Amino acid sequence: MKGIDVFGYSFSAIKLRKLRAALTTLGVIIGIAAIVALLSITQGLQATITGQLNQGLSANTLIITPSSGSFGGGGFGGGGLSDASSSGFSLHVTDTTEIVALSPDIETAVAIISRSGYVQTENLNRETTIYGVDFEQYAQVYPTFRTTEGTIPTNPSENQVVVGTNINQPGQNGTIFFNTGDTINITWTNATSGLPVNKTYSANVAGVLERIGGLGIGGPSDTGIYIPIEQAQSFFGTDQCNMIIVTVKNNDNATITSVSNAITSHFSNQVSVISATAVLSLLSSVFSTIQLFLIGIAAISLLVAGIGIMNIMIVSLIERTREIGILKALGMKSRSVLAIFLGESVIIGLIGAIIGIGVGWGLAIVASQVLGSGAFSPGAGGGGGASAFTITPLLTPEVLVGALAFGVGVSVIFALYPAWRASKLKPVDALRYE
Amino acid sequence: MSSKTVPVVEAMNVKKTYMLGKVPVEALRGVNLRVETGDFVSILGPSGSGKSTLLNLIGALDKPTSGTLRIDGIDIAKLNDNQLAELRLRIGFVFQFFNLIPRLTARDNVELPMSIADMNKTERKKRATELLETVGLKERTNHKPAELSGGQQQRVAIARALANNPKFLLLDEPTGNVDSKTASEVLALIQNLNKEQNVSIIMVTHDEKLAHQAKRIIKVFDGEIHSDVVN
Ligand SMILES: Nc1ncnc2c1ncn2[C@@H]1O[C@H](COP(=O)(O)OP(=O)(O)OP(=O)(O)O)[C@@H](O)[C@H]1O
Ligand SMILES: [Mg+2]
Repeated sequence: MKGIDVFGYSFSAIKLRKLRAALTTLGVIIGIAAIVALLSITQGLQATITGQLNQGLSANTLIITPSSGSFGGGGFGGGGLSDASSSGFSLHVTDTTEIVALSPDIETAVAIISRSGYVQTENLNRETTIYGVDFEQYAQVYPTFRTTEGTIPTNPSENQVVVGTNINQPGQNGTIFFNTGDTINITWTNATSGLPVNKTYSANVAGVLERIGGLGIGGPSDTGIYIPIEQAQSFFGTDQCNMIIVTVKNNDNATITSVSNAITSHFSNQVSVISATAVLSLLSSVFSTIQLFLIGIAAISLLVAGIGIMNIMIVSLIERTREIGILKALGMKSRSVLAIFLGESVIIGLIGAIIGIGVGWGLAIVASQVLGSGAFSPGAGGGGGASAFTITPLLTPEVLVGALAFGVGVSVIFALYPAWRASKLKPVDALRYE
Repeated sequence: MSSKTVPVVEAMNVKKTYMLGKVPVEALRGVNLRVETGDFVSILGPSGSGKSTLLNLIGALDKPTSGTLRIDGIDIAKLNDNQLAELRLRIGFVFQFFNLIPRLTARDNVELPMSIADMNKTERKKRATELLETVGLKERTNHKPAELSGGQQQRVAIARALANNPKFLLLDEPTGNVDSKTASEVLALIQNLNKEQNVSIIMVTHDEKLAHQAKRIIKVFDGEIHSDVVN
């Protein structure tokens, strides 16, 4: 029997029991839709985060923080850096010279002192993070540290500052609270010893940063205020820094590993060194685990669908015993009977998978819009930050083909047993069956 | 009929024993039979005498328990399932109950054996239409079995049996479920096929009167052939 005729026959059998076929297909649709939706959201999220990280942290950059304050305290998103490490060990601004001397592969080392504080003008009082950095070096390490307005002074006087775009324009809606050249007040609450004391100084806005968006480890933030490192040392009354950013000349794995090791051992393992490569590989392994877990859950629903298919096929096999007898008596070979039954499952699997992919994709779009509209904005440094972080769901060809194959595969696998039983029926017995 | 031609059916001491649990049921107890091309044989016998069993063996639906059965010169005991299926394509079988596929139209039912035999769509559609015309159902090609009378269904079954130009036609009680007028119509059709197209016919029936229309009458009793007379 020709393939097309086998297929046509399978189809005529499905058409006879439309509701039954539709319900069976629904199982596949739900399973595939769940898989596609979950995967395209997580893959979209991963692509977004990876993209942002790549922007914020180039491959030749290493971030050094005191161990106890490592990753979490080190300020994912640029806000809320811990003031001091609890272990008693601290990094100092002067450590940068020692670090540069550690290896010829090291290009620069930039210290960052950061504190939560407030920025005030006549009409504005906004929470922010104050970063003390060497402007020139910081701009070399992070190309995104560049202005849309004004300039970044190479030899800044102590009261010159550079602000993130969300500071002078919190709503990003055209309402600008101050401009380059204006004076703003910077306040920090010193709560390290005794009663909290507010310290304030007047600063002159030298430049406003271009919009950066998203996440950056150690990199410039739309919600930050940047002051010269010397000013930070005297204003915050410390020479301890929160992190040191190191750039290396080669970004191959060997260099990064050897430099990382040199730094860690120089500080007697009391620092952690984060590289883009390490973060990205950590991130991708985290995402793989999440995806595996989600696929696992979705696969259970597909398994249930598969059992439904098997159930329906066995019922259908019993109902059609006589029909199978006729087909065999007319000269149909066992393998054609097998093909007819498997054909029915292929049709159900294929239709289910195609609709499921569509539904899943739709769900992913809806879900990403719901998530993007609120829950997933990084919102560092307090209110008003409209740096909405959108997830664009991603449907890779792998997921597409995989979902199709999975839908059809599960249907066929669960149809194998009933189809095999159908093909093994003896024509005489099947014809006698009432 | 020259004696040199291979007989369409040649049975030598054919036995068929069914096992009902541990109890053997001897449905055929040594049948010897020879049917030549162009023969029209009717098989008569009481219910349970083994008529259907014999016909199923001749139709290559089953294998004998012992003895030799040659269909068209081929010993069916030596065939595997696939080869048996191929042999069935050359045999026209009209079952005791019409056994049409309910969801298919008359024409699709007639096309089925041709599609099993890999004939292409246009060819088999044409032939199915012709066959339905031959059995007088030109106007009913797009009707489903449920929309046809018993006699009409039986004629569709005959058209289907003829689809692949079989050497011989096996009919199990072709008139068992229809009235006497329809029965004689169906018989006329069968006689016509035998006469005009030299198709060998083996027909099982309960009906003495009908049986006597055949060229040769075989009486089966309790799994054995009691008499075999030329009419
Ligand atoms: N598959 C089977 N398993 C067990 N016994 C069977 C089977 N098929 C037939 N028999 C038995 O074999 C005997 C012959 O049956 P068969 O169907 O050949 O009779 P028949 O002559 O065609 O009867 P009828 O005129 O009622 O159709 C009966 O006793 C029947 O019960
Ligand atoms: Mg019978």
